[in-house]
Formats: sequence, structure tokens, C-alpha cells
Amino acid sequence: MQEFFQHTLNGLSFGSVYALIALGYTMVYGILTMINFAHSDIYMMGAFGTYYVMKYLNISEPSPINFAIGLMAAMIFAGFIGYCVEKFAYKPLRNSPKMNVLITAIGVSILFEFGGQIVFGADPKSFPTLLNDIEVFRINDISIRLIDLIIYAVTFSSLIGLNYLINKTQTGRAMRAVSSRPDMAPLMGINTNKIISATFITGSVLAGIAAVLVAMKYPKIDPMMGVKIGTSSFVAAVFGGIGSLPGAVVGGYLLGLGEYYLIGYGASTYKEALSFTLLILVLLAKPTGLFGLKTKEKI
Amino acid sequence: MIKKLILFFISFVGVGLICQFFLNSYIQSLVISFLVNAIMALSLNFITGVANQFSLGHAGFMALGAYTSAVITKEFFGHQWFMIPISALLGGLVASFAGYLVSLPSFKLRGDYLAIVTFGFAEIVRVVILNWNYVGGPRGYSSITAWPSFTVSFAITGIFLFITFLVLYNLKISWFGRNLWAINENEIAAEVMGTPIAKNKRSAFMISSFFAGVGGALYAHHVSYISPATFGFLMSVQILIFAVFGGLGSMSGSVLSAMILTALPEVLRSLPTGGVDLRMIIFPILLILVMILRPQGLMGRKEIFEK
Repeated sequence: MQEFFQHTLNGLSFGSVYALIALGYTMVYGILTMINFAHSDIYMMGAFGTYYVMKYLNISEPSPINFAIGLMAAMIFAGFIGYCVEKFAYKPLRNSPKMNVLITAIGVSILFEFGGQIVFGADPKSFPTLLNDIEVFRINDISIRLIDLIIYAVTFSSLIGLNYLINKTQTGRAMRAVSSRPDMAPLMGINTNKIISATFITGSVLAGIAAVLVAMKYPKIDPMMGVKIGTSSFVAAVFGGIGSLPGAVVGGYLLGLGEYYLIGYGASTYKEALSFTLLILVLLAKPTGLFGLKTKEKI
Repeated sequence: MIKKLILFFISFVGVGLICQFFLNSYIQSLVISFLVNAIMALSLNFITGVANQFSLGHAGFMALGAYTSAVITKEFFGHQWFMIPISALLGGLVASFAGYLVSLPSFKLRGDYLAIVTFGFAEIVRVVILNWNYVGGPRGYSSITAWPSFTVSFAITGIFLFITFLVLYNLKISWFGRNLWAINENEIAAEVMGTPIAKNKRSAFMISSFFAGVGGALYAHHVSYISPATFGFLMSVQILIFAVFGGLGSMSGSVLSAMILTALPEVLRSLPTGGVDLRMIIFPILLILVMILRPQGLMGRKEIFEK
């Protein structure tokens, strides 16, 4: 039973991270109907942004202020990278077939992964300790650690912030408009290009937050760190119904918990195969995922 | 017809012999790589270029063909190299069966979702091989039956490429190919016009994965060591780049681009990269530039010999 709770806590941590990254996938899909394969690499770049800022500022001792600086650095850096990727790779293809955009996204992703190996070096780097991972309290041999609590808290506040942005602000209203009718939104005076950029930046900032959270829990970063976590988050986004924000969060948590129970109770080598099997079954039974909306194609 | 085939065989052996004596083994190995890459590019081009069914899972088909053929020649045919063509065809059949399974979701899913399913299929194949001890698991499968000499390897791989090209090109311009073009242009409209969508997609997937399996088998016998890591996502992307660069829908374009893209990284090998695979820098840049500047690839849908 104690083991079960420990897996649950770990699963919730990773579920939070999956949810944050899956939100980026789902937001971009919602607004451009494209899979942003480079999203996992924006996540990786966020972690490297913090790493280099910390190195440049010579910060190595853990403190809450340094944690805040690290988080801000990752958010700004990831947001900037997301903006650039959209501007230089996807914008020229706004009117081309979907397959071309998808192929470009794959190209951008691989360029970041292998270009990163040249620029940053292929060997893993140790991420600076931003906060000491102390045990906060303990219930019946289940230790609850500070970093897990931080992950829950940061994720929760990010979700609240995102909810406010999407539902309460003018930008969020415009995002929803572009997402539901991209052809009509410009007629309502919405600058579509600006809103698409804003969506990319928002998704990338969330990925940057996730990167710092993961790097705090597992302080080894390398240019390929986004591949596995990106794939899982992507599965989470599709599982929840790609294009749906609550779906991405629910999918992220379900997948995080599921993967940790799998790892905990054997079968860890089959982890990815099982998540993909699950994905294929979900797509066959309900192609739009848990919360996705069904769209009719017209000619 | 048979006279022509024999003539082709002799000419392949002739070219192989010339290469055998005038090229060093490094370039010989590159030539075989080009032939295998061209087979893979053609097979992907048929399903993605002609039928517009986006596949990110060709590494999976390739792995099935490679492992099947490697195991069969080693365990059942006792390392006889002249059985390689037969075991390659068997590998193709296994891959083709997998292609049949992958085609089932393609009736319901299209575009991005199909890409995900094929990608997931390749991952599942990879993880299953990784956990399967009989074929070596993560250690890979080594001492695969090798070709006795470069000439034989060149002749047989070359003939496989030739047959692949001939079959896929003729299918492309056939009645069946026209149905696939209709699905490519607009699936709903094609269905309204009476094209049997499901049947055609299934056949296209099975044909494409068959040749991918054959290509994988020839790859395995060429490099004589395969491991699950070989057939990851990057392999699928590499095949995709060959097909896209040559022009989706142009069979001769695929062969041409396989030739260029196999040679290009070797030409640029002297650049300092710090041990990173140079192909994985050139290919994505090329891919992005092609998509932005010339989305139809080198040849578009035309063939080199067509006016």
C-alpha cells in the first residue's frame, strides 16, 4: 500500500509535467491543426536556457530566489524559441498542405536535437540545484518531498494562469475565435498571425516551466531529453482529445499515473509500446480522444 | 521478356565487376547503401506520394523484413548466400502482413492521426524486438549471412531495386494508381466517384510495406549487424527525407534523391561536427528548405524520362 502511494505521488509529478507539455501540443493543434513535433525540443531548449543563465550569473547555491530566476529564464527562453520556430519555419507554410507543415515540423525537431548536440555537446550536463529536495513531511512511511510539492504547486498555478488567459482576456478570446473559425476570425478584426504567435509563445512557456520542473527532479539535461517525454506528452494530448485544453490536462495525469504504475509493477521495458498500443486503441475506438470535438469534413 | 531480364542481369553483373575492380571498398559499400536507400524511398513514395497516406512507420516495416530475413537465412537456410533473395522476399511478406494490419486504422483515420498510428506501430515493433531475446534483444542480431563478394551483392540488390522501380512505376500509371491519385487529391470526392477507398488503401499499404521489408532485408545482409536502435524514428525520417526531396509521387525522383543524399553526407564528412552524425544536420535543414522553397521536391510528380 505504501508502495502504491509512492507510485501515485511520482505519477502525479510526471502527470503534471505531461499535462504542461501536452497543453502546448494541443494549443498549437487547436489553432493551426498541425502537430508541432518541435515542441519537445522547445522543452529541451528551456532547460538549456536555465542552465546557461545560471552558469552566466554564477548561481549555484539553492534558494527560492534562484528558483524563480531559473523558472523565468526557462519561460523567456522557451517562449522566444517557440516564437522563432513559428516565425521562420511554419509561417512561410501557412497556406501549404498539412503534410508539408508536418514534414517541416519533423525537420525542425531533428535539427534542434542534433544541432543541440553540436552546440551544447552530446554529453549530459548536470542541472544546477535550484532548491534543496528536503522531506517536507511523512505519513506512514510515505515521504512527501519538497520538489514534488513544488511541481504540483507550479503546475496548478500555471493552469490557473492559462485558464485566466484563455477565458478572461481579449487575447484568449481571440485565440478561441481563430481556433474555431480561422477563416472568419480576420473579418472580426483579429490579427491572425499575432494570435498564432501568441499561442506558440504560451505553449512554449508552459514547456519551459515543465523543463525546469523535470530538471529539478532529475538534474541531468542533454539535447535528446525531450524525445521520450515529448512522445509521452503527445500521447497524453491525443488521449485527452487533441485540441481540447481540459483533455490535455486529464490525459497528462492519466498517462503519468498509468506509466508509473506500469514501471512500479514490472513491465517497465514495455512502457512506450504499451502507451502507443493504448493510443492506437483509443484512436480506433474514439478517434477524437476523450474530450475532442467531432468535426465534419466538407468539400 | 526473359531475354531482356537476362540482359539486365548480365549488365548488372558487368557494372558490379567494373565497380569491384575500380572502386575501393568504402565506395562499394556506399553504392549498396544507395541501392537499399532507393528501394526504401520508392516504397515510401508509393504510399505517401501516390496514395497520400502519411507513413512515419517505414522503419518498422524495414525492421520486420530485416529481422525475418536475417533469422531465416541463419537458422533455416544455413548461411547460404544464394538463399538471400528468397528470404528477402519472405521478409517482405511478413512486412506486408504488418502493412495489412496498419492499413486497418487508415480507413478511419487520415492525415496527422494516421501518421501517429504508423509512428506508434514502428515504436511497438522496435520495443517488441528490444524485449525479444531470441533475436538478441537490445544487443542486436549479429553475424548475419553476408554476400560473398561485392559483385553478387551489387547485382542482386540492383535487380531488386530495378524490379521495385518497375513494379511501383507501372502501378503508379496503372488503373489502380489512378484510383490512388484520386484518393490523394480528395478522399471524399474519390469515394463519391465510386473508388473503393478501403480496398485500394489496403493494397497500397501492403505493396509499400512489402518493398520496405525487402529493402530492410537487403539492408541487413549488407551491414550484417542489426539492432533495434537502427530502426528508430530517425530511420523513418531518413526514408521520408529521401522521398520528399526527390518529389512525392515521382519514382525516378526517389532514386535520384537517394543517390544525391547518400553521397552528400560522405562528401561533407571532413567538416568538424564533434562526433555528431552529419546526416542528421544536413537532412533536416534540407527538409525545411525544400518544404519552404520547393515543396514539390526535385521532380514534383513527373518522372525524369517523361516530357
